[in-house]
Amino acid sequence: MTERIFVATDVGGTFTDLVYFSEDIGSGIQQLKTAKSDTTPPNFEQGVLDVLEKGKVNVKDINVMTHGTTVVINALTERKGAVTALITTQGFRDILEIGRGNRPDFFNLNYQKPEPYIPRFLRFQIQERITYQGNIEQPLNLDALPEMLAKMKQEGVEAIAICLLNAYINPCHEKAIADAIHAQSADFEVICSHQVSREWREYERTSTTALSAYVQPIAARYLEKLNQGLIERDFNGQLYIMQSNCGVDTLNSAKQVPITMVESGPASGFWGAAALGHIIGEKNIIALDIGGTTAKCALINDGEVPISSDYYIERSQTSAGYPIMVPVVDLVEIGNGGGSIAWVDEFTKLHVGPQSAGASPGPVAYGRGGHDITTTDANLALGRINPEYFCGGEIKADMGSVDTSLASLAMQLQLTSAEVARGVVRIANNNMVNALKLVSINKGHDPRDFTMVAFGGGGAMHACALAAELGMKKVIIPATASVFSAWGMMMSDIRRDRMLTYLRPWQPEHIDSINNQISQLHNELKASFVSEELSEDKTHFLVFGRFRYQNQEHSIEVPLPDFVALEDIDSIKELFQNMYEKEYTYRLDSDIEMVGLHLIGQADIGKIKLAKKQQTGRLLNETIKGERLVDYALEGIHNAVIYNGDLFEPKMAFSGPAIIEQTGTTIVVHPEQKIRIDEYANIIITLNNTGGSK
Amino acid sequence: MSKHDPITLEIIQNSLRAISDEMFSTIGKTAMSPIIYEVLDMATAIVTPDAELASAGSGIPAFVGALDKSVAKVIEQHGLDNIYDGDIFATNDPYYGGVTHLNDMVLLKPVFYHKQIIAWTVNIAHWNDVSGKSPGSMSIDATEIFQEGLRVPAVRIFADDKPISGVVDMIVCNSRMPDFLKGDMWAQIAALRLGAIRIIELADKYTVETYLSAVDGYLQFGEQVARAAINKLPDGHYKIQDLQDDGSKLNVSMEVVGDELIIDLTNAPSQSSGPDNLSRDGTLLGCQMALMGLIGDRNIANGGCFRPVTVKTLAGTIYHVEEPGACGIYFETMIRLNDLLWRCLAEQITDQLPAGNFSSICATIMGGIHPDTGRHYSIIEPEIGGWGAGRGFDGVNAMFCAMHGDTFNCPAEVAETRYGVTVSQMALNDEDGGAGQYRGGKGIVLDYKIRNDNSFLTCAYTRSEVAPWSLNGGEAGTYNRIEVIRTDGSSERHAMATEVRIDTGDIIRVITANGAGYGDPKKRDRQAIASDLKNGYVTPEYASKVYSYTGEANG
Repeated sequence: MTERIFVATDVGGTFTDLVYFSEDIGSGIQQLKTAKSDTTPPNFEQGVLDVLEKGKVNVKDINVMTHGTTVVINALTERKGAVTALITTQGFRDILEIGRGNRPDFFNLNYQKPEPYIPRFLRFQIQERITYQGNIEQPLNLDALPEMLAKMKQEGVEAIAICLLNAYINPCHEKAIADAIHAQSADFEVICSHQVSREWREYERTSTTALSAYVQPIAARYLEKLNQGLIERDFNGQLYIMQSNCGVDTLNSAKQVPITMVESGPASGFWGAAALGHIIGEKNIIALDIGGTTAKCALINDGEVPISSDYYIERSQTSAGYPIMVPVVDLVEIGNGGGSIAWVDEFTKLHVGPQSAGASPGPVAYGRGGHDITTTDANLALGRINPEYFCGGEIKADMGSVDTSLASLAMQLQLTSAEVARGVVRIANNNMVNALKLVSINKGHDPRDFTMVAFGGGGAMHACALAAELGMKKVIIPATASVFSAWGMMMSDIRRDRMLTYLRPWQPEHIDSINNQISQLHNELKASFVSEELSEDKTHFLVFGRFRYQNQEHSIEVPLPDFVALEDIDSIKELFQNMYEKEYTYRLDSDIEMVGLHLIGQADIGKIKLAKKQQTGRLLNETIKGERLVDYALEGIHNAVIYNGDLFEPKMAFSGPAIIEQTGTTIVVHPEQKIRIDEYANIIITLNNTGGSK
Repeated sequence: MSKHDPITLEIIQNSLRAISDEMFSTIGKTAMSPIIYEVLDMATAIVTPDAELASAGSGIPAFVGALDKSVAKVIEQHGLDNIYDGDIFATNDPYYGGVTHLNDMVLLKPVFYHKQIIAWTVNIAHWNDVSGKSPGSMSIDATEIFQEGLRVPAVRIFADDKPISGVVDMIVCNSRMPDFLKGDMWAQIAALRLGAIRIIELADKYTVETYLSAVDGYLQFGEQVARAAINKLPDGHYKIQDLQDDGSKLNVSMEVVGDELIIDLTNAPSQSSGPDNLSRDGTLLGCQMALMGLIGDRNIANGGCFRPVTVKTLAGTIYHVEEPGACGIYFETMIRLNDLLWRCLAEQITDQLPAGNFSSICATIMGGIHPDTGRHYSIIEPEIGGWGAGRGFDGVNAMFCAMHGDTFNCPAEVAETRYGVTVSQMALNDEDGGAGQYRGGKGIVLDYKIRNDNSFLTCAYTRSEVAPWSLNGGEAGTYNRIEVIRTDGSSERHAMATEVRIDTGDIIRVITANGAGYGDPKKRDRQAIASDLKNGYVTPEYASKVYSYTGEANG
């Protein structure tokens, strides 16, 4: 075999995408092709098989197929999951409805809580009690179970979530209930809280388990059918499923807890940024992904993508949302994308987003009847996007309508159309700068020490202005920007996170029990790899402790050795103190405590390599498409050179003002910023830290 | 483009909000006390050099306008010429700009830019214990403020950005929980410093003139928004009288003239001999909170909003206490005031505001020795309860009262570990009440089983004798109370109590009210009643008696 074939498939809400890389083992030369077909609910596997066919991919030649999916998040947000029941400890069935009692929209006296996914008549209670120390206070009484199951059957229940109090420390009763259900009936998918989360806080864990059960039947069914379909087509490679923790996992493992796929889309892009950084020697990165409706960002410190279990769906300033306590890439998302609508409130103030024009009618320039100016329209009006090369030349931008809509906003605001267009971009940028500050400055990281990696349709359009605003020195637009999520998926390892609440004072007498917990988690993870024949020499493990000053709530993750020796206690405390002071400007002489452990197991699965771009000797001049006037807001209007980025080759270099047009995106380079193309054809922009959108 | 172009001003205003929020989250992440990081009994703000609120950090409505008053007092006490870069001031005394009660410590930092004060960063947080006659500093039977703790009357605690050791030591020394106090104080200081740095960055970037002009514009905008909200109220003179648990009656008279609102609270009971008094500033705050409920937008909360409101009080009444009146339980008077104003407005604009809710902080204070660690613990928590129904919707179940906001209750699993108590149920309150075309939301039944002898319970609940008020023919709600169920099976009912002895095995059962209904129950959608029955939100007997429903239960 002289080539290796990597395929990434991605099931989105509307389309199922395929990206295909073949890599010649000898030369390392890669070929790329892409295909797209319709997503086919409820039989999502069909769309995947369709797109393989459409892309003329010979399934039996595939070495590695990585699969990402929005099926889980869509089933949740569209309320298309299974009829689900919940079993709780006696006295706690209402916890799902009570939540934490908070009202984020705190001046709104008409606030409505989010509706629970499981109605009260499907929430059952069972007699049992485990103490916070894990002892059995009241034994489990299963007498009521048969009647419960009969009622569930009658109500058409497909999935059962079990979440008992303090099960995070001792899951024996949960296991016993699950076993009893399986013994009495084969009609239900059953999921217990300890399978999804080993952390305390009963509302969050109950919500996680409930939502997990809710999507379980759909996701498990479709992953199984996908597997079947591939086998029927003589698939002979490895199939991996993208997870929310920036890793992939085996089909078997993903099928058991599908909720871990919930944020897999954004995760792959952020992982891609970290992986690219690893290859080109950038360890500190702020990754920015701007799509049609939102912008997302995450900070990668020393090559590590931050993962946390503090994740919610549908949470906003006006809704408490639903917690899902599984390992998810720690990102900040705001309602500002290319399609975000600019609007004027009753007090004649201009806002951008979070409402989006979506794909239909889309921005005014689509000419599909949209009348609301979007960020994309403003970028067109300022000459940043080429009306003649709109959406890669697929759509002729309707500039007449853009002008009309801009003029209407201008009249409301008593500004000129140009001022409004600049205002829209500046406000959108300001919203994004605030989001970028949340992941950096707010956590004690100085953005000037970081490089920005931008992707997504709008990332490159705004990246240079945002970086300038934050004083950053370098922006990288990856060579694979147009298929960055897929590329990120192919760069992933298998990754399994285990997070456990385990509260102990950080004192010598507790180190033994802490070491026991570490080795227990370690063994669990190891066993999970061994059981799937993932060889030990390809796996490695990381251990973190979560620490805080005694009595605090919020904790900081500090790296730990596999085995904590007594002489490590002080140095680990010192490390915590330093990390704490960096983030919060002071330290205390108080005792510290460990709140929990976080273990990461990774297995290398033979990733794709990043190919160097061949040089044909093309001259920079040959990439120039022309010139046009571009409005750089406060930096003035400049005559910018327009380049065709698809023709770039390594070692080319030039300066802004410039616009680079390439498949899938447009890069706006501000005056005095310098561009060079690296050996992989990544576009590297250096800033001298003046200018930007003040 | 002109120097003060509208987009730049808008961006600075966005940044003010972001800074206030950033200060807020800093305190939440670093504070030692659950009452700060969970209950969010705290607030942050940027205040103008003229002591107007420029921007308030998100958290709870009750503190929206709490932080401008302390700035005015510090300037008055010290004089502008005696305030220097690197100073930090503290006040907790309602007679010295502290607004609420002695537990709430306000810290203030002047933000200097080239020798000129361009802003103040200010925050307030509830400290667990600031001395006084009872642990936790709040006691139901205090008669003078001297019994409620150490008074810190707008004094300088930092100079040259370093603690003034004598002063800080004295404050620390006066607490029963000095470690918590220190941790919480540093959390507040970290936030003050951070806010100051951000404001200076704004001034550096846009010039001081532009920054100040953006703040001015922002206040004007707040004023515009508030005037628009008041303008939507029908002009007129509204009066209301509301019966209280102790049989007394509270009065308010409200006058709407165009876009101005005059709230007259002069017809008020004499100041209380107990701790349930409000300072004049506290009363202003209560009125400002009610106004914000009318505006309803958390993104616009600044001093400009308060300009169109006049509040009249009379010295020597519960709304304008005079020294040395006690203020420890000020919050029940404030929520009663808020409920009174709300009811007065809701009866005018029934389509905009829901009916009465459980409307009490339900302050629950429990303490004792942790049976497993041997350490002293104290729980200080507000409770969640049922909200009233409104036109078109049922009341919300189990939510914090109007004074609280993005406040989180304490999970049972955390409480059991931290305090060594057993939480044996956390359920919706299924008792009858609050019926209506739209029914009231449900309160809770929360059981704490205490695991050690010589523990104590202190509580301050109102709406314990007089139920939440309905609108348009709905039914009233139910009552807030605590039942202590002893191991011998006997039980006691409490609403206002100090240091009730609790022993091993006793259950402290918190019961909060169901909210009131909206509209005639007979008009309730039959399908909705069927669903209520199926989910056990109403009993068949109640459905038949109050809703005249005899059909099946059905989802």
